Amino acid sequence: MAEITLVEAIAQALAYEMRKDETVVVLGEDIAKNGGVFRATVGLLDEFGPERVRDTPLAESMIAGLAVGMAVEGLKPVAEFQFMGFIYPAMDQIINHVSRLRNRTRGRLSCPVVFRTPHGCGIHAPEHHSESTEALFAHIPGLRVVMPSSPLRAYGLLLASIRSPDPVIFLEPTRLYRWAKQEVPNDGKALPLDTCFTLRVGTDVTLVTWGAMVKETLAATELLAREGISAEVIDVATLKPLDIDTILASVEKTGRCVIIHEAAKSGGIGAEISAQIAERGMMFLQAPVQRITGYDTVVPYGRLEKYYLPNEHQIVNAVHQAMEYA
Amino acid sequence: MKIFDLPDLGEGLAEAEIHEWHVKVGDTVKVDQPLVTMETAKAVVEVPSPQAGKIKKLYGNKGEIIKTHSPLVEFEGEHDSPQKDKGTVVGNLEESTTVLDEGDMIIGAPKQATLAVKAMPAVRALAKQLNVDLSLVSPSGPQGQITAEDVKKHASLQTNHSTKTKMPGQVEALHGVRRAMAMAMTHSHQEVVPVTIIDDADITHITANSDITVSLIQAMIAGIKAEPALNAWYDGKTLERCLMKDINLGLAMDTEEGLFVPVLKNVEQKNPEELRNQINEFKKTVKARTVAPSELQGATITLSNFGMIAGRYATPIIVPPMVAILGCGRLREEPRVINGKIEVRKIIPLSLTFDHRSVTGGEATRFLGALIKKLENKA
Repeated sequence: MAEITLVEAIAQALAYEMRKDETVVVLGEDIAKNGGVFRATVGLLDEFGPERVRDTPLAESMIAGLAVGMAVEGLKPVAEFQFMGFIYPAMDQIINHVSRLRNRTRGRLSCPVVFRTPHGCGIHAPEHHSESTEALFAHIPGLRVVMPSSPLRAYGLLLASIRSPDPVIFLEPTRLYRWAKQEVPNDGKALPLDTCFTLRVGTDVTLVTWGAMVKETLAATELLAREGISAEVIDVATLKPLDIDTILASVEKTGRCVIIHEAAKSGGIGAEISAQIAERGMMFLQAPVQRITGYDTVVPYGRLEKYYLPNEHQIVNAVHQAMEYA
Repeated sequence: MKIFDLPDLGEGLAEAEIHEWHVKVGDTVKVDQPLVTMETAKAVVEVPSPQAGKIKKLYGNKGEIIKTHSPLVEFEGEHDSPQKDKGTVVGNLEESTTVLDEGDMIIGAPKQATLAVKAMPAVRALAKQLNVDLSLVSPSGPQGQITAEDVKKHASLQTNHSTKTKMPGQVEALHGVRRAMAMAMTHSHQEVVPVTIIDDADITHITANSDITVSLIQAMIAGIKAEPALNAWYDGKTLERCLMKDINLGLAMDTEEGLFVPVLKNVEQKNPEELRNQINEFKKTVKARTVAPSELQGATITLSNFGMIAGRYATPIIVPPMVAILGCGRLREEPRVINGKIEVRKIIPLSLTFDHRSVTGGEATRFLGALIKKLENKA
């Protein structure tokens, strides 16, 4: 079995589902002839032809609107936004139509689209190419927001997203695209949406994270293990709807929680998780819930990125603080 | 790469003009060494060499136009190695040879049975302040929550005896061994569920100058062989017990300073003489306060021979994690019925306390029975 990168796992899932289900179509800027800026759609044009693999003009609102029309007419469009910073012109379509079409038509029409886009910084790119604004989408009722953190979960969760009858914002951690490889069987098996994944079982502290920050969080876990601190690591994976039960079960066991995300702190999904722990898990806490996040600034250019991105030492420090309470 | 094509020098520029060559045919170049300066509609740009190698051919002279993606330079060499795809048009994607081994990823939460303490943070802070172990507090709040009242009640139980009592005279704080005793006994009283059984052994056959302490130790070894459950450690928090292979016998010794319990290690491997020598050694070192801390640790069962002073039966206190202690009272002579006749016999009274959380009544009585049999020389 071949070991593949995260972006290859995306391509593998797209090709698998297009072979299996002829209603699946892909569209976006440079995705057909060029194979996508990150090569996530490479080879699809050759195999499935220009009817199902379409290059679009540079007009994101149009891409989203086109996808809505296709979905309503019975197709399953998977549209790519080249970078997360380019998705904002499509917000009108996403908020006013994609998320609420079923509600507006009292269930007669659904909008089973998948909007894929690279997420996060860390590749020394210009402005608009480093966004991590997942909380904007998680705030909108009617959308699912999904973010894988390994080739295996990229494959399984993308298949699940395409097969879901609901619209899915599928955020791909850019800096993990080619960072590591993993065995990913091309067996068409989807992973469940709406559940967290427990990547490490531990007893002293719960580390909650998603996307590319899983990398630094696992690195922090190794450092903590050397000190004899046993950390449980939860990859949230589906940010909306949030599987708070898995997080609460872990916090009940450990009594301590550190949430790690790349996005700016204010109004981030870390705040939502922290609030839900306060509402339902307060009586198990032995230390305040902490958040290690990016700053409330525009993501800086390449040279300063490393100061913006949370690192494993910040996570270890937060855990040390949590351990001091009880 | 054999042939290097002119890359796009701007955003979608179709062509560029050769401004000046920096290399000629036959030159050897390094990676990133400037090959040529090209003039585009937007700017004058240096084009660096994509590879190291020897120049075989230049496609054009100064002033000529080269179309984007058309040949610019040919390098010597047979094999055409295509330029590696960076996988992005902006920035750089980190690549590594890392192969992810994520172990067993669990969908959702691991299956677990937690018996977590439920208490609000303020209650936890109060417990910490009052030095209360929340796992020992009985909850009275909704859904099994420990309330601040529960913590306070527990704390008052803990401290009843040592604080807020008006002392009528000079107060003396407990120090050292006496303080350790006070704390160990409090701990035992809070945790252990003790049961004491009492019985007598007829040791008429033992001569007046024989060593009763050593006989008791040997009898305890016989008891443990019959019932290993009494030579064990028990952890009430995890509900785990550990039956001990070695018999390390703690021997309670009374001194003016307080109670000492030096430990006779591996008594099952020692003969009476060795045991007596060790006991005598302990008497000396305990009196001189030179007994090493390591000699006071690791006991698996205890013997308290209080009868050397006075007292018949007692309810000896177990020090966790041990689960049993034997107390031995004052030796006495009394009339007994032997084969239908009254005889004067030497009787030694025994009191065995066991922790009923980890030892059953059956185990304890079988232990005591085997012990008495050995003492009475019937084993």
